[in-house]
Amino acid sequence: MPHLRPTILSRYLLQGQLSARGCLNSRYRGYAIIAARTSRASAPTPGHARVRALHTETTSPAPTDPDAPVPGHVPLRKQLKDEAKRQKATGKKKRKNANNQVVDGWELTVGIEIHAQLNTAKKLFSGASTSFNDDPNTHVAYFDLATPGSQPIFQNETLIPGLRAALALECNIQQVSTFDRKHYFHWDQPSGYQITQYYEPFARDGRILLQPRDGIAAEDGGEGLSVGIKQVQMEQDTAKTLAQPGDVHWIDFNRVGVPLIEIITLPEIHHPATAAALVRKVQILLNAVDACVSGMEAGGLRADVNVSVRRTDDPAAPLGQCTEIKNLSSFKAVEDAIIAERDRQIAVLEAGGTIAGETRGWSIGSTETRRLRAKEGEVDYRYMPDPDLAPIVIGDDLVHHLRDTMGELPDVEVDGLMKDFGLTAKDALSLIALDGGMRIEYFWNVIDALTARLGPDALENQLCFQLAANWILHELGRLTSERSDDAAHDLGFTVEGQCERVPVDHLADILLYLHQHRITAKIAKELLWVVFRGRIPDQYPTVSDAIEQEGLWFHELSDVEYAELADAAVEGQDDVVKQFVNYRQYPQGKLMFLVGRMIRLGQEERIDPKNAERIMRAALEEKYVPAMAKQ
Amino acid sequence: MSTHVRHTHIRAAQRVITTRWRAGNIQRRSLQQETTVKDSGVEAYQNVGLRLAVKDNIAARGFPTTCASNILAGNEIPFDATIVTQLRRLGMDVVARKAGMDEFGMGTHSTTSAFDHVHNVHPLERYSAGGSSGGSAVAVRNGTAELALGTDTGGSVRMPAAYTGTVGFKPSYGMLSRWGVVPYANSLDTVGLLARTVEPISTAIVGRGFYSEHDPRDPTSLPSHVRTRCTAQREGYDSSGQAPKADFRGLTFGVPLEYNIEELDPRIRRGWLQAAEKIQSLGGRVVPVSLPSTKNALSAYYVIAPAEAASNLSKYDGIRYGRRDSDGTSDALNGVLYARTRGTGFGNEVKRRILLGSYTLSSDAIDNYFIQAQKVRQLVRRDFDRVFKLSNPLQDEQTFNLSDMDESVMLDSKLGPAQVDFLLSPTAPTPPPLLEQVHKQTPLDSYMNDVFTVPASLAGLPAISIPMDIPVDPNNEEEKLLHFGGLQLIGQYWDDARVLSAAGKLSSHVYSV
Repeated sequence: MPHLRPTILSRYLLQGQLSARGCLNSRYRGYAIIAARTSRASAPTPGHARVRALHTETTSPAPTDPDAPVPGHVPLRKQLKDEAKRQKATGKKKRKNANNQVVDGWELTVGIEIHAQLNTAKKLFSGASTSFNDDPNTHVAYFDLATPGSQPIFQNETLIPGLRAALALECNIQQVSTFDRKHYFHWDQPSGYQITQYYEPFARDGRILLQPRDGIAAEDGGEGLSVGIKQVQMEQDTAKTLAQPGDVHWIDFNRVGVPLIEIITLPEIHHPATAAALVRKVQILLNAVDACVSGMEAGGLRADVNVSVRRTDDPAAPLGQCTEIKNLSSFKAVEDAIIAERDRQIAVLEAGGTIAGETRGWSIGSTETRRLRAKEGEVDYRYMPDPDLAPIVIGDDLVHHLRDTMGELPDVEVDGLMKDFGLTAKDALSLIALDGGMRIEYFWNVIDALTARLGPDALENQLCFQLAANWILHELGRLTSERSDDAAHDLGFTVEGQCERVPVDHLADILLYLHQHRITAKIAKELLWVVFRGRIPDQYPTVSDAIEQEGLWFHELSDVEYAELADAAVEGQDDVVKQFVNYRQYPQGKLMFLVGRMIRLGQEERIDPKNAERIMRAALEEKYVPAMAKQ
Repeated sequence: MSTHVRHTHIRAAQRVITTRWRAGNIQRRSLQQETTVKDSGVEAYQNVGLRLAVKDNIAARGFPTTCASNILAGNEIPFDATIVTQLRRLGMDVVARKAGMDEFGMGTHSTTSAFDHVHNVHPLERYSAGGSSGGSAVAVRNGTAELALGTDTGGSVRMPAAYTGTVGFKPSYGMLSRWGVVPYANSLDTVGLLARTVEPISTAIVGRGFYSEHDPRDPTSLPSHVRTRCTAQREGYDSSGQAPKADFRGLTFGVPLEYNIEELDPRIRRGWLQAAEKIQSLGGRVVPVSLPSTKNALSAYYVIAPAEAASNLSKYDGIRYGRRDSDGTSDALNGVLYARTRGTGFGNEVKRRILLGSYTLSSDAIDNYFIQAQKVRQLVRRDFDRVFKLSNPLQDEQTFNLSDMDESVMLDSKLGPAQVDFLLSPTAPTPPPLLEQVHKQTPLDSYMNDVFTVPASLAGLPAISIPMDIPVDPNNEEEKLLHFGGLQLIGQYWDDARVLSAAGKLSSHVYSV
C-alpha cells in the first residue's frame, strides 16, 4: 500500500474525504464518506463526492473521542499530539503492534469477511453502467430504484471478474449457484433487501498463501501459512449517502446494484498482523487478476473481522464466543481493531465476565472497539431465495478458459523480480502494488527499452535494471510528493504501462546515460523534472538534445585534477585531518566534509562525488596523514 | 392455521342430485356466440377501439398504478407493462379508469382496497364480485370493456370470473410477461385475461401468438427456445390445422375427488356433476382422479405467497414514489425507519400477510414453514404430472411407482390410475356471497375460498373458469339471482391452447345465459 501523505490523511481524518487512485481511474478525487458533519464543516457538493465507496453495514461513525468536540481545522499533527497526550494522561501507552501479537496464556482466532467492488461495466441486475464520478443519479435503471413492476436481469458478464477473483483465491467454482434476498430496511437499499448468495455461493473452499514478505506476524514463522477461504459470493452494493448539514441525507443511486464479491475466510488466523497481511494480499490478488475496481485506500474494499479468544491451557476447548467488528477501511485498522478487541475480551474474561455475541465498531486512532448492537438487537435477515432469479450455471469451459488466461499471479511475479533483478522483497511488492499494477507494467516497458539500448548482455545489464527499479519506485514518487494537492501533477500511468508525464523512452534515455556515467545523478534527477514538466518535447526534442543544448554531459575531472582539488580542499583544515590519525572509528563524516569542500571549490558538474571520495580517502591515507604525522 | 380439507366421495355427491338439469338449457346456444366463433381469429382485433380494462397493479402509461393501496396513492409507473404494449399493438384502448382490486391483490372479494370497494353487477350489487381482480371482472360483465387484464396468484382471475359469470383465464406460468406487473408473489403471479366469452382470450393467446412472445425484461418469461420446445409437444397452437372438433370424443376429463369438500355448496356440486354428464353426452370420458396433496396445497400457498409478499412489499417506504407519512420530523417511529409510512400506508389484510410472511421466513421458523411449503409445492406439481396424459415439459422424465402412490388413488386398470387431458372442478365452493357476510368473515374463511384455484397456481398450470348453470329453486328469489357458478378446467403445463379450445366448446353447453 502506498504511503499516505499527511495532507490526504488529514483530509480523510478530519473531513471524511478520501482521495482515490484505483486501477481504472488514476485521478485524485475527493470522496465523502458517510460522516456526521458539524455545521461548521462545509457541505460537500455533489461534484465533490464522487468515488463510489463500498457499502458494508451502515453505521454512522462516531467521532474518535466522544469527549472532544470535532475540530474544524486543527492541524493533524496537533491532533495526533493531543491524542497521544490524552492517552498518556489516562495511563494507556500504546505498545508497538509488532511487539503485541501474542498475549501469554491466550489464543486469538480471527475470521475475515472482505467486500470488494468488481470491475464491471454494468450493474449486477440491470443494464445501467457502473460509474465513478458521473453526476449523481445518472446511471439508474428502473430496477435499481425498485420501481414496482421492474425486474432483475442478471448481467452474465459481471461473473467474469468474480470468477477471476475466485480462481486467484484457489476456490472450487460451483456449477450451480443461486441468489437470495437479505432483508433489512435502510434508505440506501431501495428494495428493502440486498440480493446476495447466502445458500449457494458461486465459489467455495479456496485458500490464500501468506509469506513472511507479505507482512505476517513473526510468530507465524518463516515458512508462511495458508488460510482457508470458506466461500466467495456475489452481491449488490447499496446507494451512496451524502450527509448534509442539519440531519439531511442525499442519496446517489448510481452505486446501487453495483456488483460486489464477499470473500469469507475460515477462522484460521491467530495474529493481528497476519489478518492485516491477508487483507492486503487479497487486495493485491484482486488487482492482479483485474477483478476489482479500487483498493481499500479508495473505498473499493472493506473488511469485517470476527474475533474470539480462548485460553491455551486446554487445546480441546471450543473457540470462544466471537464478536464482529464491522466496516474496517484500512489495513492498519484491521490490525489495531483486532488487538483492541482481543485485549477487551481477555480483560472481560479475566474479570470473570462472559463475552456477548455482538457487533462492534472501530474508529481510526482509537484504542477500543465500541458496541454497535447486541445479539438481541440483531436484524433477522430472513434470507429467501429470490423467486425472480434463476440459478447461475457456470460451465467448465468458462472456468478453464479463465484459468488458462489469468496470467502470472503476484507471488510468482515477486519471486521473478527478486531473482532476476535482485530487488528486495519489499521493493518487489511495492512495485507490483503501486498504481493498481500499472507501475509494474511501466517497469517492464522501461526494461524493454533499456534492453534495446544496452544490447543483450544480461549480466552487464543487471545493474542498470536495478537502477531502473529504484528510480521507478523512488524517484518517480518524489515528482508528485511535494505537490500532492494538485491533481494535475498525477503521473498518469496507463493500463498499457505508459506514463503520461514520464514516457518510457525518456526515462530509459536518462537511466542509460546515468548508468554509463555520461551524466551525473544530480543532472539525471534534474532531467527527470524537465521531462515531468513537459519541456521534452516542448523545448527539446529528446533527452540527449536537452543534455547537448544545456551542456550537461559529464566530463569528469581526471585523477590529477581530482588530486589538485583535494589539495585545495585540505588547505587550512589541519584540525580535520588530525581526526584521521589514530581514530577509533573511521571518521566518515569528516571525510564527507572534505569531499563537500572539494565539490564546492571545484566545477561541480564535472565531479562525481563517489570518485571525489575515493581520491580524498586515498590522499588522506597516503599523503596528508603521513605528512601530519611527520610534523 | 389448519386448512385441511375434508372430502366426501363423489358417489355421495352424485346422490345429492335430485333436481334434473333445467330443461331447455342443454341445446341452447346464443346466436351471438355462434357468430363470434365464426369470427374467431385475427379479424376480431382488426376493430381498432376495442376497450381494455387494466387492473390497478399493471402499469399503463398515462394512468396511475396504485395497487389499491394508500402507500402508492397517486403513483404512476413510467412505462407500459409488456402485456399492455402487446394489446395496445392490437389496437386496443385502455379504458379511462384502472380496474379496482384487493390491496396488492390480497383478498378474495375485492373488499380490501384502500379506495373503493368493488361490488357485483346489477342485479347483484349486494354480492361480492370476487377478488382480487374483481374490478376487471365487473368491467367485462357490465360492458365497460371487451377484454380485461387481471393478475392471478392463487385464483385472483378465476374467482371473480366465477362470481360474475364471466370467463377468467390464468395462463401457464412464464407465458405472459410480468414486466410492469407489480409483484405480489413472483413465483405464483401470472397475468390473467377476462372476457364475457372464451373467444377474445384465445384469440390473443393463440391467434395473435402471445404464447410465443418472450420478453427479455422478465427473467421468468420462458425463453424462446423453450417455448418452441414446449409448443412442439402440444396441439392446438397451429391454426392452419383442421377445424377443431365440435365434440369431446377422445378426451378424458378428470374429476378430482379431493375437491369434493364438505364446504362445497350443494348447488355448485350439482352444477359440477351436470357439467360432467354433459361432457359424457358429448363423447368425452369423465373419470375420478385423486390428487392427494390437495389437502396441503392451501396451507403451502398461504406460507409461500405471504413470504414472497413480505419480501416484495419491503420496497414501499414512501421515499422514491408513493405516499410518505411525513408527520413529525422524521419517518422513524420509536427509532424504526419508515414505521410510520408503512404503518399508515398498508391496510389490515396486507399487514397481516406481511407479518405472516416475515414470520415464516424468520430464522427460527423457515425450516418448519417456508421450506416445508416448498416441498408440498413439489408434491402438488407431481400429483398433477401423474394424472395428466401429457408430461410436463419443464421436468425431466418422471416415473410414478404404484407403491409410492397414496392409497386413496383409484386404479383405472392394473397398469395404474386413469390419465386425463383436463381436470374439471368448480372454481369457487359457493356462489358469490353477500358483501355484508364477507365483512363478517374471518380471514381464514376467505382463505378457504381459494381451495380449488390454488393447486394450479402452485404448479404453474393453465386454468380457466367459465360460467356454468346451477340448479335453481323457482321459489327462491336469491337462487334465481344466483343461477350460475364457476367451472374450472385445468390443463398440463403449456397446454393452454387446448384448455382454451375445450373451454370454448364447453361453455355453450353448460351455460345458458
